[in-house]
Amino acid sequence: MANSYLKSESKKLATWYFTVAATLFGAQLLFGLVAAAQYVIPGFLFEILDFSVARMLHINALVVWMVFAMFGSVYWLLPDETGIETVGINLGKLLFWIFTAAVTVVVLVYIFIQVGAADETSIWFIHEGREYIEAPRWADLGITVVALGFVANLFMTGMKGNRSGIVTVLMADMIAFAGLYLTGMFYTDNITVDQFWWWWVIHLWVEATWEVFVGAIAAYGLITMIGAHRKVVEMWLWIEVTMLFGSGILGMGHHYFWIGTPEYWWEIGALFSALEPLPLVAMFIHVLYDWGKMQGEEDAKGQEISVITNKPAFTWFVLNAFGNFLGAGIWGFFHTLPQVNLYTHGTQFTSAHGHLAFFGAYATILVGMMYIAVQGKNGIKVLNNTKSTIWATSMIVGGVVGMTVALTIAGYSDVIISRAQMGATWAGYFDAQATTWLVQGMVWRLLMGVVTFVGFIFLAKDLLTIGKSANHVR
Amino acid sequence: MAKKSVWSDNRFWQRTAAWITGFASVLLIWLTFDTSAQISMGTDADIQSGVTKRVPGPTVINYKIAYEFNKKRQHEIPVIGGMNAEGTSAFQEKEKFFGRDDWSEAEASEMLRLGKLGSQSKNCMNCHTLLGNGAYYAPDLTKAWLDPAWGPTGSMQAMTGKSTKEEAMAEFLQHPSQYPTHSRMMPNLGITAEEAKGLVAFLKHMSSIDTNGFPRNFGKIQGAVNGK
Amino acid sequence: MVDEALMSRDILVDDFLTIFVSSTLVLIFGGFYVGIYTAVKVKLLKQWTMPFAYLFWVLTAYCLYLMGSLMHVNELTAKALVVAAIGLLLLPHAVYYMQDHVHQENEH
Repeated sequence: MANSYLKSESKKLATWYFTVAATLFGAQLLFGLVAAAQYVIPGFLFEILDFSVARMLHINALVVWMVFAMFGSVYWLLPDETGIETVGINLGKLLFWIFTAAVTVVVLVYIFIQVGAADETSIWFIHEGREYIEAPRWADLGITVVALGFVANLFMTGMKGNRSGIVTVLMADMIAFAGLYLTGMFYTDNITVDQFWWWWVIHLWVEATWEVFVGAIAAYGLITMIGAHRKVVEMWLWIEVTMLFGSGILGMGHHYFWIGTPEYWWEIGALFSALEPLPLVAMFIHVLYDWGKMQGEEDAKGQEISVITNKPAFTWFVLNAFGNFLGAGIWGFFHTLPQVNLYTHGTQFTSAHGHLAFFGAYATILVGMMYIAVQGKNGIKVLNNTKSTIWATSMIVGGVVGMTVALTIAGYSDVIISRAQMGATWAGYFDAQATTWLVQGMVWRLLMGVVTFVGFIFLAKDLLTIGKSANHVR
Repeated sequence: MAKKSVWSDNRFWQRTAAWITGFASVLLIWLTFDTSAQISMGTDADIQSGVTKRVPGPTVINYKIAYEFNKKRQHEIPVIGGMNAEGTSAFQEKEKFFGRDDWSEAEASEMLRLGKLGSQSKNCMNCHTLLGNGAYYAPDLTKAWLDPAWGPTGSMQAMTGKSTKEEAMAEFLQHPSQYPTHSRMMPNLGITAEEAKGLVAFLKHMSSIDTNGFPRNFGKIQGAVNGK
Repeated sequence: MVDEALMSRDILVDDFLTIFVSSTLVLIFGGFYVGIYTAVKVKLLKQWTMPFAYLFWVLTAYCLYLMGSLMHVNELTAKALVVAAIGLLLLPHAVYYMQDHVHQENEH
């Protein structure tokens, strides 16, 4: 972690966060492979590391690596945006170690203890058994402390230094992000109430606050990488916030169709879900527009140089604009209306959407931020692609898209057999699982998962070594 | 130079963002109050006086539960204790649960609590779906209590050699890897006899929740959909 | 709000594929419309390609209609879909108009 180019402590801290994030990304893929293999070879690690445990690790590592990378991204851009060193940086470093240690303990408990008795002790110390936010309650409290410390640093720095539009959006967004976590911590006997509040965390994170976060990071990226005009980008960011929160907050309705909540959520969910793709389309145009505009200005000067100062990161940012639209937009939209969701809810379709949306909307841009950090850390003016960059990018993208297509085909079979024809019974479920499409789909998903993992190894190698490559402009 | 227009004014958009976000949030909070009132768990008194709640009280385990098509709502709804003239729950017909149909509110709540805690600590949701949410590695549990496979002529009940649905389910939950259900087997999760009872109560209670007709055409076999 | 039942009819088994494909195409065509429009405006594409942008919007609207009718959506949802289609039609215009304004203010 030692280097000579980073003067800012905040940026050093950011590189720590990115390091842990990338490690957890690897862990996510590894446990995903175990779970994917269990679909194909049912006895694989049976009663040693069961599907439930592998999947819990898979999705928790996902959430946590993204949170680490998000914290890292904020610590990275704060000095650039505010013009000052981050206030409370030592607190930030302390919280980083607490967070990392807590995550390690949680993971070890997941792997070695796995399940507990049906009592509150298990909820406090093993896991809460609620998808995505399984972390036991002691860790919940720890995460809250860490998140509050992080938000405090962000606020103190934003208020002391130059509070740019991007920083303002991040401040509002991150406090909502931290606050929403609290709604998912309590226990109730009522499964409907349980899932109602559970979605407050999951939905309002993933389809509202995280999306706005991505908007802010994309704005920062466009300014730093292609020199887009700050005023345009920041105005655009406010429009995005309007559209994302305007559709996303009430888009929550699409999770309240079938969990025991009243029927009026059908109408609310349908209306706002239909609007949810619009900001994603808009974000996509925005990147295209700014790139075209800036390159056009450069070309007008008669110079045949690209305006992009960080090729790998920009590639990932463009993949983000595209992937967000594809994964969250298209793959979300085609099963979001209640009329069709009645048949698709809780099938492999959801899984297909989940994979492409998390990857397209979040993984891409966070990997992009890692490349920006690598560039800054090595003091490079223009960072170019290496062979590993190209292998990593194409294998990861190809792998995830391949998994998504495989899961979509499996999901179609699942919907038609188990839902439309068999009315969602156990017999219907197992009939659907036995269809050729689903069985083959799962084999392809595993293969594509392996491709993704190999891509990740290239990515890790590239992030570690690209700074030393000779083909950059220093 | 173009004129200063409100559409290209940063402050205008900043305010719009704040107002729209605030408005959406207030609406969500207001709807949350309304929904919370509608999804709070009912009581034994509600059941006694024939009040239908979206999430009935725990003593619903003393009654027969069915899932029938309702003409007015155009989808299936849970029907508890037999159907009345309007096609909704009559709360009359009882059904023995582990040999009793007079579980008190305290006893039933205790069982449900144990079951709900069990559903979390045993990590059900990372293989199964509950109310359609969770993983897709194993069948949906939303209406598992009503599933024909667990009924008197169902394969699952027959496999355990028990004579009632609840005993069959409890037996299976305690020793899942003894029963060859499918190549994808359920692992042994150390579920005790008491916990199993609680989990079955939890499943029976969950099947009585009004899920707006999810899952559709539950239990209808092939052909019924096109035949309508 | 719910006097008209949302799920009055089941979706036919044979209609599912059409529904999934058309709703996917809604956004793909929509993306083409927006993409071509923006690309023409920032001069990445020639002016004569513009009619194709609008052609894609028409296809988008048709796919929305097809999807909605096969799903048997109720009136409110149908209205929401129309609003979404018109919103998509206006979106790139509004965005371009605003972006151009800001650019002019900043560059001259």
